[in-house]
Amino acid sequence: MDGVLLSKLKNQIKKDSECKTMLDALNKVTACYRHLVIALGSTSDSQNLREELKKTRKKAQELAVANRNKLTELLKDKTTSKDDRAEYERLWVLFTSSMELLEVDMKRSLEIGQEFPLKVPTRHLIQTGMTGSTTTVAARAMSVQNMKYDADSNIDTADLKELQAEITQVGQMMEEMEMKVQVAPWAVEAKQEAGAELKSTLSVGNSSVGVISICEEDARSCPGDENCCVCIPNGTDSPYSPLL
Amino acid sequence: MTIRNVRDHGQRFRPRMACLKKVESVMLEMQDPKTGVKSQPQRLVSTTIPHAITGEDIVAWLTNCYSIGAEEAWALGTMLVAFGYIYPLQDHKRLVIKPDASLYRFQTPYFWPAQQWPVEDTDYAIYLAKRNIRKRGVLALYEQVQYNSLHKWMNHKWDFIVMQAKEQYRAGKERKKPDRVVFDCQERAYWVVHRPPPGTVSAMDYGLERMVDPNTEEKQTSDFFRRIMIFTQQSIMRPRVKSSVSIGALVKYSVTYNKHDPFLAPCLPSNPWVTDDVTYWFLNMANVGIPTKMRVERWTFSFGELLSDPRGRDDFRLFLKKEFSGENLAFWEACEDLKWGTAATMNDKAQQVYKTFLTRGAPRWINIDGKTMEVTVKGLKHPHRYVLDAAQTHIFMLMKKDSFGRYLKSPVFKDTQKRAICPDQHMFSVPQLEANARKRRPSISPIIVRQLEQEERARMATSGPVDITQVMSKLSNKGKEVPPSKK
Repeated sequence: MDGVLLSKLKNQIKKDSECKTMLDALNKVTACYRHLVIALGSTSDSQNLREELKKTRKKAQELAVANRNKLTELLKDKTTSKDDRAEYERLWVLFTSSMELLEVDMKRSLEIGQEFPLKVPTRHLIQTGMTGSTTTVAARAMSVQNMKYDADSNIDTADLKELQAEITQVGQMMEEMEMKVQVAPWAVEAKQEAGAELKSTLSVGNSSVGVISICEEDARSCPGDENCCVCIPNGTDSPYSPLL
Repeated sequence: MTIRNVRDHGQRFRPRMACLKKVESVMLEMQDPKTGVKSQPQRLVSTTIPHAITGEDIVAWLTNCYSIGAEEAWALGTMLVAFGYIYPLQDHKRLVIKPDASLYRFQTPYFWPAQQWPVEDTDYAIYLAKRNIRKRGVLALYEQVQYNSLHKWMNHKWDFIVMQAKEQYRAGKERKKPDRVVFDCQERAYWVVHRPPPGTVSAMDYGLERMVDPNTEEKQTSDFFRRIMIFTQQSIMRPRVKSSVSIGALVKYSVTYNKHDPFLAPCLPSNPWVTDDVTYWFLNMANVGIPTKMRVERWTFSFGELLSDPRGRDDFRLFLKKEFSGENLAFWEACEDLKWGTAATMNDKAQQVYKTFLTRGAPRWINIDGKTMEVTVKGLKHPHRYVLDAAQTHIFMLMKKDSFGRYLKSPVFKDTQKRAICPDQHMFSVPQLEANARKRRPSISPIIVRQLEQEERARMATSGPVDITQVMSKLSNKGKEVPPSKK
């Protein structure tokens, strides 16, 4: 008897942690994709960047589909407890917010990519002051040590058609998700307190009750500028006492 | 997940920002290595960052490229900065072009303002969280306020925002030091434009959002053609005026109102939108005791101007009181009240108006011709908002042709004209302007203003104007001679 329960629990925990790792990965890829799109059209734009964008995008889509399948499976299960269900809804909101960001960034990259083709005689890339490459960002997204570049030279135009198709795909997926999964996003309560980003731990599963809170303006403890508010970080050796 | 019954991200069109496409082409021209703006490296403590441009170079390039004067080039340059296509490297909160050696840099296309992409609060929340990390919790006051408010209403997404902020911060660290500095400047500049700190003037007041792109070609269905047919039929039936007449009217209007237009002539003491000093609004409030000279001058332009200005109407009411012909204005005001009032009170108001002004032997009987009276009384059987329109127009024309002329020659008006004030123009220095911007406060709540107006109206109703029939009966009771007939 106990053995069956134990294995069931172990299964559950495994599913949960898988889910959370996948969400973490999707989150990371979304953040990296945004950094890459920001470099589009500027002086750090190049063939390599376009390829990095393509690869990151594909990875993001794979993760998105995997996440969606996992989460819909968890949410469709009618036997989950109320707490578990609340937790899955929270993960669902995380997932959909990531997808929204991805969708916007994809649309913008299509637009900017069309405006700034690379293989034209007079290339007018915007001189933004950024000149370095984005290989390390892409490598972080793909979870590899070094990026390998093997695309054709016309990637800047050829990729755009694919991108358009993928954008439609993502749009359809999100509509489907909205229709099929009944989750009220506004009912989800966040686990992170205000100022939680100042803590150093960061995975999805961290349901920390933040000790940090944004305090009211405290002129006495402000270093010099009367117009700032001091938020007391946890664990640093600041001279101010925490507010809680 | 945001509510998506309206598919967002690219489906809201803001027509006032249609100029952005043109600005983008200007930006591309500026990048040309031969004919564009010359750039120089910016030396910082630990790194050197290329592609910094000076304000004077930008202004000079604009002057040459478009063959315009220096002042216009300066205005155009400021517009580029206010929109966020170029950002200042020093004094980043003031979005103006300084035509000297101050440095600027071009903004990356992702952060360009776009007509079809609304600026999302989610992104702002992520940015504030990142800034919190970078500044170890020390945010500026206005950022603090925004952070708290976003945390409150975006609470369901807050986990995502924290996660994404941390990841973006980490991913940003993967780039080399000069690029990191540039990216921070870029992001900060973007949010200065779209969430301006107090005292910053940005160009992002973009007006209404429309659900349909006004630039797309409309599909030519039968409905489309039907609408065109109706439109052209109505245009044919419209009464036409000779262009010499209509142009003459436009010219007359422009000449008359030339000095009163705040765009063309400076408003005294100073334009509050420009200098953040609200004296102008205080001097021109509805219930002010002494009006300004410009305001009094506007009353002489037309009767409509006099009536639409509450202070002017008060003055006119005073004049009519002295002449014992206040019932015309009272009737006109009652008609306006009916037109603009709530539907629930309409019936009662209409009956009240009938009893007070229109019926035979009414206490404040107004003098309208028989036909109009017939139409009005018939209409009052089924009262609606515009039932008194005909009578109101008649009374308006009566007042305009008769009383208005006498008012302008009356001692009441002449006295007001003499006492009207003409304030001196403010001369604010730049630090004073900044102080004004910091001292901006919201004005009185409209709820309180409406309450005050209602109290005022109630007070006037109780201390109402003299009922002429009572006056006449009182006088005749005293055995004196019959008073002069009312006008």
